[in-house]
Amino acid sequence: MVKVVNMIYGNLKNGFLSSSLRIKHNRLESISRVFNHIPHKLYRIALYILLFSIAFVFLYPFLYVFITSLKTYRDINDFTVNWIPRSIKYQNYIFAIRILGYFKYITNSVLLTVIGTLGHLIACSFIGYGFARYKFPGKNILFFIVILSIIVPIQTLIVPLYMTFSNYGWVNTYLPILVPTFFGFGLRGGLFIFIFRQFYTGFPKELEDAAKIDGCGFLRTYWSIVLPVARSVFWVVIVLSMVWHWNDFYEPSIYINKMALTVLPARLQTLVNYVNNPQGDIFFGMLLEEGEDTINNAVLMAGTFLIIFPILMAFGFIQKKFMQGIERTGLVE
Amino acid sequence: MKKMQISMGKKKIIEAYIFMLPFIIGIVAFFAFPLFVSIKLSFGKVIDMSGFKIKWIGFDNYIRAFVTDVQFIPMFLRIVRESLLKLPLILVFSLMLAMFISNDIKFKAFFRIAFFLPFLLGTGYVMQQIIGQGINEQVLMQAKNIFIPEKILAYLGPNVDEAVNSFFGVIVTVLWSCGVQILLFLSSLQGISKSLYESAKVDGATQWEMFWKITLPMISPVMLLNIIYTLLDSFTDISNPILSYIQDYAFTRTDFAYAAAIGWIYFIFIMILILVIFMIMKNHLYSFDMKEETKNGKSR
Repeated sequence: MVKVVNMIYGNLKNGFLSSSLRIKHNRLESISRVFNHIPHKLYRIALYILLFSIAFVFLYPFLYVFITSLKTYRDINDFTVNWIPRSIKYQNYIFAIRILGYFKYITNSVLLTVIGTLGHLIACSFIGYGFARYKFPGKNILFFIVILSIIVPIQTLIVPLYMTFSNYGWVNTYLPILVPTFFGFGLRGGLFIFIFRQFYTGFPKELEDAAKIDGCGFLRTYWSIVLPVARSVFWVVIVLSMVWHWNDFYEPSIYINKMALTVLPARLQTLVNYVNNPQGDIFFGMLLEEGEDTINNAVLMAGTFLIIFPILMAFGFIQKKFMQGIERTGLVE
Repeated sequence: MKKMQISMGKKKIIEAYIFMLPFIIGIVAFFAFPLFVSIKLSFGKVIDMSGFKIKWIGFDNYIRAFVTDVQFIPMFLRIVRESLLKLPLILVFSLMLAMFISNDIKFKAFFRIAFFLPFLLGTGYVMQQIIGQGINEQVLMQAKNIFIPEKILAYLGPNVDEAVNSFFGVIVTVLWSCGVQILLFLSSLQGISKSLYESAKVDGATQWEMFWKITLPMISPVMLLNIIYTLLDSFTDISNPILSYIQDYAFTRTDFAYAAAIGWIYFIFIMILILVIFMIMKNHLYSFDMKEETKNGKSR
C-alpha cells in the first residue's frame, strides 16, 4: 500500500520535475478554462436578464393599457391591485365602443390607411426607380425637392396647402390626404422615395439589361422584372406608411370638419371629454358603478386599446416579412 | 417615309422623365405653390382676408420673432436643447440594443419585435394619452427604488423625487422612440462580414478595439442616416410645442404671416443643423469605393 502511494507520489514528483513546464501550462490552461467558462455563463445570464427587462419596458405600455382596460372602478383606485384585476370588467369595452362609435369610424381609418399606403407604394417605388437608374438634366434639383419635402414641417405649409385644396374643392373629403400620396407626396412621401431609391441603387442591373436585350420595354421591365424582386422593400414601406397613416390625426383634423369623416385617433378626444365631465346620458348612468359620476380611466384605456388593436393585428400578420425586408433591403448600404 | 430617329441618350432621358412625371405633377399641384405662398407670407402681411392679398413688408415678421416675441426664442432654444440631448441617448441606446441582439442569442425574433412595437403607437394622440397617464414614469418606478432607496429620496424632499421621476420618464420615452433606429443598426451590423472580426482577433485585437476600429466605421453610413432620422423625428413630432405655437398663430389668432415666418426660421435651423452634421460626418464616413473593393475581394 505504502509502496503504491510512494510510486504515485514519485511519479507525480518526477512528472513535476521532468516536465514542469508542460504541466504548468496545462494547469494554467485548466484554470483559465474554468475562469473563462464561469464569467461567460454569468455574462449570458446577465445579458438575458438585461434584455428581458428592457423588453419589458418596451412592452409595458401595451400591457398597462390592456390590463387597465379590464379593471373595475374599485380595482383602479386600489393601489394593491397592480397586474391582476380582482374581477374582469369587459363592459369597459362596450362603453368605449359606444362612445368612440368604433365600428362606424373604423372604416374611415382603414380606408384612409389602405389607400394612402397603396398610393405611397405605387408612386414612391416608381419615382425612386427613376432616381436610382437614370441620369437626366434636373435630377439634382428634383432630388433636392425630395429632401426638402421631408424636412419642411407640414405646419409651415399648412395654410397655403389648405388654400390650395379649398381651391380644388377638396376640403371635407379625404382627397387632400390621399391624392398627394399617389404623386410621391403626402405623409412623409419623400422618405419613401428615398428608401426605394436606396434599394434600387444597390440592386444589380444585369437582370434589367437582359430583359431589355430580349426586347422588353422599359415600363414592362419595371413592372414584370423589377417589382417582383423589390417585394422585400415593399413590406418595409407598407409597415411604415401604414403606421403613420393610422396614427396621423393632424391632417384630418385640418381638412375635415365633418363628423362623419372623423378618424379613430381623433375620436379619443371625445372619450377623454367623457372621462373628465359627467354626462347626462341614461345609458351611461346605468353602467356606472357606485361612487362614480363619470366613466373611469379603464374605459379610456379600453378605447386606447381598441384604437391600437387593428394596427397591432396588421403588424402581427406581416412582421415576419417586414423583418426580413429590413435585413435584405440594403437600406443601409 | 422617314423613320423617326431618336438617339439612345435622348430615349433614356425621355424614359427618366416618364418615371419622374408623377413627382413633377405632385410638385406643381401640391408643393411649389404652397411653398412659394408660404415664403411670400413670411415676408408680408395679409391685408385682405377674402382675397388673400399679401403686402410685402420685408423682414418685419422675422425681426418680430427674434426681438419682440418674448416666448418664441426661449421655446425654440428649449426644443433645440432637448432634441440635441435626446439624440446621443437614442443613438447609444439603439446601437447597444442592436449589438446585443445581433449576436446569436435565443429569442432574437421576440426581442426584435418587442423593441419595435412602441413605434406602432406612433407619436400621435395615443402616445400622448399614454405619456399623459404617466405610464412612462411608472415603468421605471421599480428600477428607481432599487437604485435609489426610498428613504434617501424622502430625505431629499419632493423636488428631487420629482426630478428623478421625470428623468426616468425621459429615459423611457427615449427608449420607446428607438424602434426604427434599432432595426437600421441591426441590419447594418449583420452586413459586416465575420471574417473581419476573425482576422482582427488573430492579430490580437480586443473587443473594445474591434468596436472602435471595425464596427463603428463600418456602420457609419447608417449612423448618419439614424442621426438625420432621429433629428427629423423629434423636430417634426406633432407634440412639439414649437409646432403647436405655429399652429396656434395660424389658426387661432389667424396671423398667417407671422406663423409662416416662425415656420421658416424653424425649418432653416433644421436644415442648417442637418447640413452641419452632414459636413462633419462626411469625412468620417466609410466610403463606398472601399466597400466595392471588399465586395470584389470576396467574390474572387
